[in-house]
Parts: sequence; C-alpha cells; structure tokens
Amino acid sequence: MHFNILIVDDSAVMRAMILRTLRVSGLPLGEIHEAANGEEALRRLRESWIDLMLLDINMPVMNGEAVVDHLRADPETADLKIIVVSTEGSDTRVARLAAKGVAFVHKPFTPEELRDTVLEVTGIRHDQLGAADGSVVGDHLDF
Amino acid sequence: MTSSALRTALSSATISTFEELGLLFPADGAAPARRGEPLVGGVRVDFDGPWRGTVVVRATAGVLATAAANMLGRAEPPAEPLRRDALGELANVLCGNLLPAVAGRAAVFELGAPRWLSAGDAVGRDVTGDEAPAAALALELEEGRVEVTLHVTHAPVERAEAP
Repeated sequence: MHFNILIVDDSAVMRAMILRTLRVSGLPLGEIHEAANGEEALRRLRESWIDLMLLDINMPVMNGEAVVDHLRADPETADLKIIVVSTEGSDTRVARLAAKGVAFVHKPFTPEELRDTVLEVTGIRHDQLGAADGSVVGDHLDF
Repeated sequence: MTSSALRTALSSATISTFEELGLLFPADGAAPARRGEPLVGGVRVDFDGPWRGTVVVRATAGVLATAAANMLGRAEPPAEPLRRDALGELANVLCGNLLPAVAGRAAVFELGAPRWLSAGDAVGRDVTGDEAPAAALALELEEGRVEVTLHVTHAPVERAEAP
C-alpha cells in the first residue's frame, strides 16, 4: 500500500524539508500534496484522497488547530491520520491535540523522529520500508 | 524574569535553532573577510499569550544563503524568496523554542506569520514605543552574523513569594 500525504506548512522550505525526509526514509509514498495554510489544506482534502496529513500549527488564514477541529467534526474526515509538525512548545496545547488523536513532532526534528512517528501513526512496518518515492501534486516546489 | 535570564534564554534558543535547523554553528569571532559585513535584512515574528511581543532575527547575506541551502539539502543557495522563507522558518522555530523557556511549558501562545524586514526597518519603536529590546544577542556564525532581539510589550506581573 502506498500512502497519499498532504504536507501543510506556510514555509515552502519546511515543506521541502519534510518531503525530503519522507523520501529518504523509504516510506511507501503515493501522491504528495502540499498546502500553505489551513483553508488550502481543506480544499486539497476535498479534491484528493489523503491517507496522512502532516500539519503545522502557526499558519496564516487558518491555523493547524482549527484545521484539526474542522476535520474531527466532519464524519468523512474524523478518522484522518494527522501528525502535527510544529515548533509548539506548550505542553497544554500538545495535550489538547493528543486528546483529539493527533500525533506530534517538534521542530526542529531529526529524520528518524519524523519517520518513526509516521510509522507509528500509519502502522507501516520497518520491513515495508524501501526506496519508495512519490510524485508531487499541487504546489510544486520550484527551487 | 531578569534581563540576564531573558538573554540566556534567547542565546540558548538562538544557538540551538541555528545549529539544529540551519546547520550553522557558532564561531569564535568574525573571519577577517567577514568583518563589517552588513545585515541585509531580517524577519519579525509577533507572539501573543501570557507575554506579548516580537522576536526579530537579522542576518548577513552569507547566513541567509547558507542556511537556506542547508535546510534544503542543496549545494547551491536557492533564489532570494526561499532564502527569506528559510530565515522566517528559523525565526519561527527560535520563537517557539524561546517562549516556553520564558513563560513556562504550560503557557499557550499564538505566533504570527514571519514578516520580512529590510535592512533599515526599525522594529522596537513600533512594538514597544522604546527602541531598547528586553534582550538582545549578536552571534557570530561560521558563515556570517545574526542579531536577535526580543521585544516585550506585556509580561505578567511576578509576585514576590510570601516569607
């Protein structure tokens, strides 16, 4: 099985760092989608099938916590796997997110931290890791 | 919190962020070729919570270029918009790591989107009405210099402990 992933962060550089980490981790990636804020993320979710969302908290237009609340309130997306990747340092907010079934990776992260959290959330086993790669759909990174 | 403690927290957050995210490490002093290099711009990140204020990170051209290249895993620096984006992300992470050290890990803050500042833009006066920041740091890195300031417009009143 390949996982379609949506990376949501207002920083193009951070989205690229996350994508690079996913690729070098050998995760079985399907389509990779990107969004720069919460509203754009919700639009991408309506357009495409997403298995896992990697979500920043502090973003313009709609922040990550509002996105989580929106998704959990909608029966169609209530069970979506979400990993918040954020500089968030508040134990209060992290606990609040955990209560909503969201995993958390603190920035700056090591590739291993992000990979292991993805494995834990998706249930992918280490022996399923390979040299898988994904194609980027949506906002292509233009370096 | 004393100004000394604020500066220590700012220094710790700055060094760890530039090391871990930007892969830029402190240097003992400016290399001769880099002495007097101007700060080409910076980024401000506003925060709101138990404390309110702004963190400003300014950098020389070498820091901007190398940090962006390192973060993207590229040999050559990217174009200017991505260099600014990289400094914005560094400032965002720095601010996120600083605030728990200042206000405690239970405090919840909202961080504004990083905003680019040109070299001549002053921040202190429009944030606090006073140019003097609550804490300031100039840090020499291997690829240039960064200057980081913390401006506080509101801080909770610290109560003296009962004897």
